[in-house]
Amino acid sequence: MTEMVLQRFLAVGSIIFAIGLLGFLTRRNLIVLFLCTELMFQGAAINFIAFGRFHENLHGQAFVIFLLVIAAAEASLALGLVVLLFRRRNTLDADAWKELKG
Amino acid sequence: MEHLFAVQYAWLIPLLPLIGAAVAGFFGARWLKGLSHWPIWLTVGASAVISVMLLVGMIGHMPHEASQPVVIDGQVKSIQPRDGEQFLREAFAVSVTRTIYTWISAGSFRADVSFFLDPLTAVMLCVVTGIGFFITVFARGYMAGETGYFRFFAYLGLFIFAMTMLVMGDNLVLLYLGWEGVGLCSYLLIGYYYDKPAAREAAKKAFLVNRIGDFGFGLGIMLLFTAFGTVSYFGQPGPTPDGVLELAMIPRTDFQRLAVQWAPFLLMLGAFGKSAQFPLYVWLPDAMEGPTPVSALIHAATMVTAGVYMIVRCGTLFVGNAAAMALVAAVGIFTALFAATIALRQYDLKKVFAYSTISQLGFMFVGAGLLAPVSAIFHLVTHAFFKALLFLSSGVVMHAMMGHLDMRRMSGLRRILPKTNILMLIGCMALSGVPFLAGFFSKDEIVIYAWYYSKPAGALLLLTAFLTAYYTFRLYFRVFQGPLVQPAGPAEGHGHDNHAGHSDDHHPQSHVSHGSHNHEPWVMIVPLVVLALGAVLAGYLNWPERHASLGGFLGQSPSLLLARDVAQARVGPSLVPVPFGAEEYADGDVRERMHALHTRMMAISALIACLGIYVAYLLDLKYRDQGEALARRYPRVARLLEARYWVDEIYQAGIVEPLRRLGAVFFAIDRYVVDGLVTGFGLFPMGIGTVLKVFTQRGSLQGYALLMLLGVVVIVFLVLR
Repeated sequence: MTEMVLQRFLAVGSIIFAIGLLGFLTRRNLIVLFLCTELMFQGAAINFIAFGRFHENLHGQAFVIFLLVIAAAEASLALGLVVLLFRRRNTLDADAWKELKG
Repeated sequence: MEHLFAVQYAWLIPLLPLIGAAVAGFFGARWLKGLSHWPIWLTVGASAVISVMLLVGMIGHMPHEASQPVVIDGQVKSIQPRDGEQFLREAFAVSVTRTIYTWISAGSFRADVSFFLDPLTAVMLCVVTGIGFFITVFARGYMAGETGYFRFFAYLGLFIFAMTMLVMGDNLVLLYLGWEGVGLCSYLLIGYYYDKPAAREAAKKAFLVNRIGDFGFGLGIMLLFTAFGTVSYFGQPGPTPDGVLELAMIPRTDFQRLAVQWAPFLLMLGAFGKSAQFPLYVWLPDAMEGPTPVSALIHAATMVTAGVYMIVRCGTLFVGNAAAMALVAAVGIFTALFAATIALRQYDLKKVFAYSTISQLGFMFVGAGLLAPVSAIFHLVTHAFFKALLFLSSGVVMHAMMGHLDMRRMSGLRRILPKTNILMLIGCMALSGVPFLAGFFSKDEIVIYAWYYSKPAGALLLLTAFLTAYYTFRLYFRVFQGPLVQPAGPAEGHGHDNHAGHSDDHHPQSHVSHGSHNHEPWVMIVPLVVLALGAVLAGYLNWPERHASLGGFLGQSPSLLLARDVAQARVGPSLVPVPFGAEEYADGDVRERMHALHTRMMAISALIACLGIYVAYLLDLKYRDQGEALARRYPRVARLLEARYWVDEIYQAGIVEPLRRLGAVFFAIDRYVVDGLVTGFGLFPMGIGTVLKVFTQRGSLQGYALLMLLGVVVIVFLVLR
């Protein structure tokens, strides 16, 4: 893998990350927000893999395995929370929970 | 000397009681319970055996040449001009230093755990472990069934450990360790009945008053170290002077001369605190809140004599310093008389003996201060016997009277406590100085030297002796003679309110019918008999003109040998050797004069003791109400004595209250200035946070995400810049 190829991979990772970030900042729906964070995760994962290939070692892949496991665990927790929140207010709008500010 | 069993294993003397204390302390609460006295009995008993073996072994190794007087043509050859090396070698003929390990080593400072065994140490060890052993035996009967029985014995073991370290240590730091150790045990044991406010207060008072003295003591040790660069008493055995007590004899620099001049005053402060002398005596009467065996062991026989031991041990420092010695003697005389007058009008048995102890300690200080260390130690030994006996006897009375100690509420107890009656009588006679009992000989010696050096001092001591005889027998006649009177019901709030009904053979009904109940179990009477034997016979230990007498033996201690040299250099060769335990070095003329004075003084003090007893007989037995009538005729005097000269109140108003107010000021400064500064700085970020909160923390998830992003961008920018 040359540096040119690496840059392309990194560009893809960054674009996915940016899409996730923009989605997180603009949307109100809790589930969409959650999906956006997952998107950011994947952007970071692509970077890891790309760097792993570039350096020709397994560090990047090992990291990604961990990342996926954590993402899965976090997904199960977060979706559970979202369901609970929805049951309370009958809406998925994040602004419905504004009063939680300190 | 080195090969003696007792010298080889001398380290067992402090170690065994420490092990006993650990066993009693760690296994007593759960497993040993009522058997907790066994580890202490066994270990303290073994220590006592080794101590006696050490003493006997040392007596066996005393050089016989020393008994040859250095008299040529009737003229005394002072030991002063002799060859220094030869002299120092002779000085350590009967002493051994045994180093166990290096304890502290920091720069040039070095303190070893090292034992210095000489005649002075051997005598002190025998007193501490021997009398300590009999008191622990007594305590088994006295404390039986108390809550925290194991705790009591664990503390006793710890105390014996600390006290033996105090007298065995070969340097000032180890002395200080023992000094503070016994102070701690004293605190713990005074506060043994910690659920009683009076006991807690007394324990705190004892600890704090001793802090004042120990502050001076600590400063003195530091001063000596800075001046001489060592804390060891005599350093390595050998002809070169390398210990602080040897170097103090030959100060070389100006600073060393200054240290020799001032260190005794600082050390003395510690002695005044620990041995309850005048300005710092106030803790001892209150310390009687502790259990009676503690009063006997710690506050009469051993710990309070530590100050006397220290002054005698550091003899070379003290005797060359005329001002320090005069101060020691003056404080001793004043305290002896002062405490004796207070004892005249006390009604609490233990309080009378407490003031009597203070007074007798004053005698010892007079002995130490007037160049008579042998008589100071002699009085220490005899006093340990008879005062322990008196305290324990009053413990029996207290036990039988269910905690009552007020002599106005009891009388004629000889009918129900016949054995204690005889034992108490022996103790009282020994304390009063009735001829041929222990106190007579030892007190006499001190009075003689006081008389020799200063007639007013001797007269004041004789007056004190008269008062002593009076107050001692006032107590005896009131409590044991006359018609039988017993207090009804257990004492309220005094001593042992929880004492009733706990003893192994105490039954509730036996409190009503005293006759059927054994108040004098053997475990309490046997130790008293032994102590009574000591109170009768200890006076013959220092029979004059005997090489192997206490005086001749103590005279072999380097502390006394070297101090004798210093003293002779200061006041001339005349009398000095006699009270330093080297009678054979004294001038023949002086000895003749001393013997004449001795005989005369014995007659006078015997007369005075009998007079005191007779007055007590008249005022407190025959015409018992006359004593009170006499007191009513001089209400001011009686009031003054009963209030103990208001010393406690004066201290309270003059020292405690101002200090408390000062403390309040410091507290306010700490609270508002120091704390204010700290909380003020804390307010700064808090304020910023409060302001930022309004703009940023609005509850919108996206807002937070944006801020976070901004933060990350800023940080990344700063890092990558």
